[in-house]
Amino acid sequence: MSLPRIASLLFILVLLLTACTPASPATPEVPTAAALPESTDVPTDVAATETVDQPISGKLVIYSGRSEPLIQPVIDAFKAEYPEVEVLLKAGSNSEIANALIEEQANTQADLFITTELFTVQSLAQQGIFQPYRPAAADQLPPEFVDPNNNWIGLTLRARVIMYNTDLVVPEDLPTSIFDLTDPKWKGKIAAAGSTNGSMQAQIAAMRQLLGEEETEAWLQGLLDNEVTFFGGHTDVRKAVGAGEFALGLVNHYYYHLQLAEGSKVGVIYPDQGDGQLGLITNTTAVAVVKGAQNVSAAQAFVDFLVSEQGQKLFAEQNYEYPLLPGVPLRDGVQPLESFRLAEVNVAEAALDSDATFDLMEKLELP
Amino acid sequence: MNRSDAPMPPALVSPLQRLRAASNRLTTRSAFPVLLAGLAGLVALFLAVPVVYIILRAVGADGEAWQRLLQARLWKLLGNTLLLMLAVTGGALVTGASMAWLTERSDLPGRKYFRWMFALPLAIPAYIGGIVHLALLRPRGGMLPRLLENLLGQPVYTPSPLGFWGAAFILILFTFPYVYLLSGAAFRSQHASLEEAARMLGYRPLRTFFSVALPAMRPGLLAGALLVALDILAEYGTVALLRYETFSSAIFVQLSGRYDRSAAAVLSGVLVGLAVIILWAELRSQGRARFTQMESSWRPAPTIRLGKWRIPALLVAGGVAFTSLLVPVGVLTTWSIQAVLDPETLRSVLHSGSMGFSNFAWNSLWTSFLAALLAITLSVPVALFSVRHPSRISRFIARVCQVGYAIPGVVIALSLVLLVNRALPFLYATPLIVVIAYVLRHVPQAVRASEAALNQVSPTLEEAARVSGRTPVQAFVQVTFPLILPGLLAGGALVFLTSLKELPATLLLRPAGFDTLAVRVWVWASDGFYVQAAPAALFLVLISAVPLSFLLRREQIFK
Repeated sequence: MSLPRIASLLFILVLLLTACTPASPATPEVPTAAALPESTDVPTDVAATETVDQPISGKLVIYSGRSEPLIQPVIDAFKAEYPEVEVLLKAGSNSEIANALIEEQANTQADLFITTELFTVQSLAQQGIFQPYRPAAADQLPPEFVDPNNNWIGLTLRARVIMYNTDLVVPEDLPTSIFDLTDPKWKGKIAAAGSTNGSMQAQIAAMRQLLGEEETEAWLQGLLDNEVTFFGGHTDVRKAVGAGEFALGLVNHYYYHLQLAEGSKVGVIYPDQGDGQLGLITNTTAVAVVKGAQNVSAAQAFVDFLVSEQGQKLFAEQNYEYPLLPGVPLRDGVQPLESFRLAEVNVAEAALDSDATFDLMEKLELP
Repeated sequence: MNRSDAPMPPALVSPLQRLRAASNRLTTRSAFPVLLAGLAGLVALFLAVPVVYIILRAVGADGEAWQRLLQARLWKLLGNTLLLMLAVTGGALVTGASMAWLTERSDLPGRKYFRWMFALPLAIPAYIGGIVHLALLRPRGGMLPRLLENLLGQPVYTPSPLGFWGAAFILILFTFPYVYLLSGAAFRSQHASLEEAARMLGYRPLRTFFSVALPAMRPGLLAGALLVALDILAEYGTVALLRYETFSSAIFVQLSGRYDRSAAAVLSGVLVGLAVIILWAELRSQGRARFTQMESSWRPAPTIRLGKWRIPALLVAGGVAFTSLLVPVGVLTTWSIQAVLDPETLRSVLHSGSMGFSNFAWNSLWTSFLAALLAITLSVPVALFSVRHPSRISRFIARVCQVGYAIPGVVIALSLVLLVNRALPFLYATPLIVVIAYVLRHVPQAVRASEAALNQVSPTLEEAARVSGRTPVQAFVQVTFPLILPGLLAGGALVFLTSLKELPATLLLRPAGFDTLAVRVWVWASDGFYVQAAPAALFLVLISAVPLSFLLRREQIFK
């Protein structure tokens, strides 16, 4: 091994390293130092409405159960409003982030938690992970979507629907209920999200409450017997249905719209609308300010932004979701929820049972 | 890899030994070995803490967690993990050894290029290879089945890359280079007379191969196989992607599932136990794998003519290189070009998550570089102590420093999260904790490299420096260090390479807004955005190729 060669390789390495530095705006340490004095200015127990005159800046750490592509546009719009704030995002599954929040209780890292269903946020609220905050717009939201203790506030609704490939399914064959998915005629033709997905977990939790353990287990077992393919996330599901790999997909409604926008031949069914049927299962996305947050003023500004007309419009337009703020229009083509019968779930009760949901998925070895 | 600590010519031994004995007396009186022992002990302690902690957590977990796991999952996971480990190890052995035979012993055309093509898949993390092959082969929706369907007008059955067989296939493709490199070295050092003797006894070529050539390579093959086995135990990305559940992926699911760490700790404890057994076997095989002495009459074994087997051999070798190197790189390049050409994709490639592309590329580079630097620094006292002052204690310390091999990234992450958050909260959720995880996991490679380098430097040189009045520290800095520097750099390059590829620990430990290339690739690909993931994946492969080719060029045949 010759020294010149080592030297030249080291040189290349150093070149590589330095080539990448100027592009990154600053080393991570610099903004920290700059941010610290400002964020410590804000007393953490400040009352909700008194932050108006504080200059909002510094780092804002967001833990998000919404996957990155579904939150990034909102963050970008927020940054346009508050250029002084540096938003740091950690996206993952709801329960993964919930675990991190519990772990970090004594050593808080996050300022905000955004989730895709209420059970996780409710369960964490019961464990005292959050601090109350009630944005001014909360009064305009339907009361059932604001935590009575103001620990969390709802953002949008999503419906659990069945999307299908119009080339593969004829209209008269279409399922009308999620229980049709266990029909052997669909064997091997269905895709869904697996047990690590928050929306799927929430659906199972909701069904456990509405139907009881046994019937939910029978349904899940039916899906497994029917050789449903479980993906890690819904993007895979929608793409697979769009590509004709599967006839049916159990997804959140906006995945149908996203796939349709890509030009695929897909249709959608809002299931369980008949008499005696379950009703449409919906999930509520929500946000909460973490107790011990370093940057409460920015966190509260972000919450305000999310429930503002501008923020709600972003969710509705970019991601076809159902905004909770009245008066914000749905994106074209999205069927209004008022036309459906919704399944009614008691969130607080279901949240207490979250362990039982995990037990059930584990017992059935849901992928 | 070339640990040719050739014995000294006998004439020189006795005076030298006397001198060494004298200087041993000299050094034992000084404080240096004590200092060295202390440093090495501290390093070992640092490395052992996370393992001990996780095992204590596993043992201390409440009976209910154990019982629930024992009833439902433990046996299945154990079976799954062992089955995959055996299949991949076997497959990698067969592929690696036969490719090594083809390039080192036969007259395969284009051997020079095939050597590179069989070694370079080490620069491709298995999960990236998995992403590519999954996109190509996925039943019904993959590119290949759809192409065939369009060509032939009807659906054609193609093997699925999912599940056990898919995972085994992908992992064999991206781990066989370990076996290839180790057995290639063994093939090259083989003595011609061995096989000549067998042939004179009337053995046919095939029988010669199985009864002479192969057994002589056993140490090299065994070392390669055990490295592959440890790799499979730690593998997370590929098995998660291809939906085959092993311990690593089950721990990950546990961590992101119920709000209870004890089940994850129990699974981690069992996994570490399993890995320690394999590591122990590996260390033993290392101890026995003494290199054959190269006498003056050594001649390389003759090249075997393939004759009518030339074309089939070429096809097989080409097929291996095609699936393990050309396909992934080709597909990633195509996707990258697509991503660059599509303005919207390009925008999200450049500004995704909280940061831009350059930001997470830079994160990958500096964390891996720092980890390499730290790992090498920590390895030096351990190697010095174990090589220069062999004793039961130094051997024990060196063994403890190998334990990182046996802790999969998921387990290191779990252990660090629990440990650091309690003991060193200010370190928690900083990039440094990611670096610490890399160091813990990859120090063994650095220790081995440093030991190998030291073994090649005769202690007489240091003794000469000592006799001429240098302190032990001066002797090390002025004499030993310059000589072992290339070896240390090689160890550093190896740590750098493996840290770049590390996925599960980075995923679990990264602070908010801190992404590396590996994490970005994973996040995008698991959301189904393959084209978006491609530029980062390609860049990761390319920068991994730099330290890898540096390592390969240390070997004679890659010059």
